[in-house]
Amino acid sequence: MNWHYLRNELYHQRRRTLISVIGLSIGIALLVILNALSLAYREAAHQPLKEIGADVTVQRAGDVPRDLSGVVFPCSAVTIRDEEVKKISSLPGVRGTGKAILLWVFDPKRAWIVLGIEEKNSIGPAILRSSVTEGRFFEGGKPEAIVEAAYARRFNIKIGDSLSVANRTFPVVGYLDASRSAKIAIANIYIPLAEAQSLAHSSGRVQSVSPFNQGDVNLLFISADQEKIVEMASSIKKIMGAKTTVATPESFLKLLGSLFALSDKFTLAASLIAIIIAVLIAFKTMAGNIAERVREIGVLKAVGWTNRNVVTQLFAESVIQCFLAGILGLAIAGVAAYCLSFMKVSIPIPWEMSPTPHFLPGGGDQIFKVLRLPVHIPWDLAVFAVLLSVIIGGMTGALLGRQISKIKPSEVLRHE
Amino acid sequence: MSNATLLSGAALSKSYGSLQVVRNVSLSIKAGEFVCLVGKSGCGKTTLLSLLSGLETPTSGKVMLDDKNITDATEDELAVFRREHVGFVFQSFNLIPTLSAWENTALPLFPVKMPADERKLRATRLLEKMELGHRLEHLPSALSGGEKQRVAIARALINKPKIIFADEPTGNLDSTTGEAIMKLLYTLHTEDGVAILMVTHEAELSKTADRLIRMHDGEVME
Repeated sequence: MNWHYLRNELYHQRRRTLISVIGLSIGIALLVILNALSLAYREAAHQPLKEIGADVTVQRAGDVPRDLSGVVFPCSAVTIRDEEVKKISSLPGVRGTGKAILLWVFDPKRAWIVLGIEEKNSIGPAILRSSVTEGRFFEGGKPEAIVEAAYARRFNIKIGDSLSVANRTFPVVGYLDASRSAKIAIANIYIPLAEAQSLAHSSGRVQSVSPFNQGDVNLLFISADQEKIVEMASSIKKIMGAKTTVATPESFLKLLGSLFALSDKFTLAASLIAIIIAVLIAFKTMAGNIAERVREIGVLKAVGWTNRNVVTQLFAESVIQCFLAGILGLAIAGVAAYCLSFMKVSIPIPWEMSPTPHFLPGGGDQIFKVLRLPVHIPWDLAVFAVLLSVIIGGMTGALLGRQISKIKPSEVLRHE
Repeated sequence: MSNATLLSGAALSKSYGSLQVVRNVSLSIKAGEFVCLVGKSGCGKTTLLSLLSGLETPTSGKVMLDDKNITDATEDELAVFRREHVGFVFQSFNLIPTLSAWENTALPLFPVKMPADERKLRATRLLEKMELGHRLEHLPSALSGGEKQRVAIARALINKPKIIFADEPTGNLDSTTGEAIMKLLYTLHTEDGVAILMVTHEAELSKTADRLIRMHDGEVME
């Protein structure tokens, strides 16, 4: 293989080179952007739970409380027994769990959405420790309350005030801003988990709908191995029964409804089509280019180039062109990804995951998690695209080179 | 010119289907001899040149060059043989359009493992000999017809061949340039002792040759 010849051929036949490179680069760009979009939707589907460090949430649906007064469970989140939590924690793929209790408290003057959260945990609503905007987080398991900042402003609740919730007094020790957090972690008042368990345990209305022991919860958050989530979700349902709601990135993908989100098969099929288009474009343009050079190949052979010399030269030209096409394809895909990253997606959050009584403000509204589509091109996809491009070039060059090297110089040089 | 036979063809025939283009031709060329092969268009001159130079394999008969039988060689063996022993000059120059004058000259050396500087030096010296030292980096599109043919002659000489096969080397040139090219070929023959087998249909050009071979309907009428 001769670099002088290769460089001159690509440079002096710029039009020919550009057509080959641009043609293939479009196919490569298509392949990259399709996969980047698919990955972006998958990543977006993780967002509703990502802010609270979880991949999966578990709830169990139950009966609607007969009488909405005092402490009740929302019908979408009734008791998850402690032994069920332990069984789930030991499932393959579970990295860790976080617990919470969601309560509706109907006092004579006010209705509260109360979330009982752990004091320390990197999984679940305990992560809201970092969202405290004023005051402090819970300390030492004391009966204290933290109020959601917007709610506190609305009802003029100050740090140091005492809140009476279900006939128990909770001094307000801080505010937290949960507006950027997962919808499932949004409440009016946050109290320590043990306090919430005590409220639920002592509530006759809770016990009448869903028997509750002191160690039980009604929301479970799981951090999990991504590859095992589907299998794990199925095991959880087996442990907890048919009324269980297991929210996973996959379930949010389905709610997104996009073609990319709906099916891996679609992305695979579209990628295959893009690859086939890329191969056909590369083959067609390079076959055309080589056909134009039949006489040149005849001269090479006449002056002493062997078939192998000819094939190696054409192979190298083709590989370099396709490498350039891969780089250009990546650049095109990068620009497209940048533009697409301004696109916003609205992920619908099922009411069950953020239950608010219908008679409270916003109670009947559909809630969405709105975010910018996180489109980016991962390194492995970029390397794969360039490698694929080079492989296409190598195969095309070798195939066409072998074919063209069979010509006899006397045949092409005869007709002058 | 020595008396040793450099190239010989014995009972050479070439057919394409039912068409017999070369019929039972036997001839020999001595080292350093300038031989002209003349005849009308379509009489089989170019085919005979292709058979003798190893560009084409005969239907029957054999070709010996430097005591080597090249008739049964494989395609790649023939390519290496052409690279090492013969040079070609074509009517339409057949330069590679994307390569400069020196690169075209060095084209037969590209597959040979040697330092790039040496390759360029050899091409440069030959082009200087052809009075093209100022055109080394020019592409064929920037050269005149005569200059292109001189680059083609330099390319034919780059491997120091014992024989050059020239197929109508002045066919695409005006008479003045054609004369200059013929003078150059003659100089190569007389000063460097290179054997030349030149195909032409112009009898005038054959006057400079040591020997004239006439062809008619695929047969040699010496």
